[in-house]
Parts: sequence; structure tokens; C-alpha cells
Amino acid sequence: MTGGIVVGGWEFVVAAYGITFSVLGAYAVSLIVRVRGGKGREEN
Amino acid sequence: MAGPSNEKRPWVGYGFLALAVLLLGTGSYIGLAVAPREHYMGEVQRIMYVHVPTAWSALLCFTFAFVSSIAFLFRHDWKWDSRLEATLEVGVLLNFLLCMQGAIWAKPTWGVWWDWDPRLTTTAVMLFSFIGILALRRFVDDPVRRATWAAVATIVAFADVPIVYFSVKWWNSLHQVQSTPQTVDGPMITPLRVNAFGMLSLAIGLITLRTRLAARRLQNEMAPPLPERETSSERVAAAGGEA
Repeated sequence: MTGGIVVGGWEFVVAAYGITFSVLGAYAVSLIVRVRGGKGREEN
Repeated sequence: MAGPSNEKRPWVGYGFLALAVLLLGTGSYIGLAVAPREHYMGEVQRIMYVHVPTAWSALLCFTFAFVSSIAFLFRHDWKWDSRLEATLEVGVLLNFLLCMQGAIWAKPTWGVWWDWDPRLTTTAVMLFSFIGILALRRFVDDPVRRATWAAVATIVAFADVPIVYFSVKWWNSLHQVQSTPQTVDGPMITPLRVNAFGMLSLAIGLITLRTRLAARRLQNEMAPPLPERETSSERVAAAGGEA
């Protein structure tokens, strides 16, 4: 920080977006896999 | 009590997820590449375009969990218990991400990862309250007790949600006031709005799919036990003793 102004900081932005979309993406994929897996068992 | 219904139409959930990918991709691109740099916080302010939509969606999830709890207690319909389970889980996930994003934003702007400021403290209380309710659901095997206790606990825990929202107005908080179109500069509103609808769409999609899983588990739990296989001697006895 220089004179009350934050300089740079892209690494924090990348970390925030990266963590958010990685976690949400992994959760969405796990739900889709479980829903489709259960559907397959119901049909068998 | 109405039996658990395994909700149909999984394409609704997939549709909302696809819409979320489109909106969040567009909103994040505008927020990261097109929107201007904020004067004091610099590039770090771009975290707002994902942080604020996450906060709104988490609060909406807990509000819907509150509505589901009341609906279950009054209507005794199991679909509301499935919805409660889904909204709690998605809400806790969003709340956890909210705290992570907040900590990452706090470090370069406040100089610390965490501060026991009213907004942060009430948000942490909200996270751990709802994690506790999810844990309660794990430990109770009886579906009726599990649903009733979770619904009552959710109603109690929901008392913290409006406190979280108004904490920045009620107390002298280190956290800035709510980011709304009235408090955010014009060029920054578009990515905020697009990502807000994207995160809402994502939450709806995830809740739809998670509700389906919860309903399926309830169906399995409440299914009548399979009849025991008769032994050959029992079949003979049932047929009149002639072998």
C-alpha cells in the first residue's frame, strides 16, 4: 500500500476467483455425477 | 405426512447451471478486463464482483431454508425437508466461500486476513450455526426427528441473517456498507449485476440437483423393508404340509 492506495494485488484477485470457481465447479460436478449415477441405478 | 417425492425434471437444474456458466463467465470477464480500476483499492476491488454476489446468494439460500423449515412444520410435506437440506448445504458452501473471499480482500486493504468486526463476526456465527444444523442432520437417523429438529434449529439460526445484513449500519464496522447500485459507481454496476444473476442461477441449479438427491435418500429410508425370503420348509407348511 502506498499513501492509502493499494498497488498491484492481481494475485489476490486471481486467488479469490480461482478458489471460488474451483470449489463451486467441483461441487457442481459431484452433484451431477451423483444425480446421474442414481438415475442409472433407478433405471436398472 | 406426505411421502417424499423424488422431484422430476433434472434438466431444470442443468439449465440453470448452464445459464450460470454463461452469466458468470460474462460478468467476470467484464469485471476483470473491462471495468475501471478503483482509485483507492486498485485491482483488489475486482474481488467485489464475485464477493458481493456470493453474499447475496448465501443470504437468499438461508432465507429459503427458513421458508422451507416453516413450510415443513406446518404442511408436513417431505419435499420441504429435501429443499431444506439442499438450501442449507448450498448456503453453507457459499458462506464458506464468502469468508474466504473476504479474507483475501481484507489482507491487502486492511492489512489482516481477519478482524472481529461486527459484519465478519456475525457472518462467522451464521456459518458455524448452519454447519451445526448440517451436522445435526448427519447424526439423527430417524427422518421425522431429523426433519423436525433441523427445521426448528434453522428457524432459530435464521435470526442471525438480518443481523448480518444490517450489521454494517447498526455498528461502527470496519467493513464497508452494502454494495448496491446506489453505492457503486456506474461502470462497476454491470459486472456486479451480471454476476449476481449468475450466482443466483448457480445457486438455483445446485439446490435443484441437491434436492433431488435428498428426496431420493428419503425415499430409500422410508421404503418398506423387503419381505424375508421363505425357506423351503415354510413354503411347504404354507401349502398345507404336503411335500
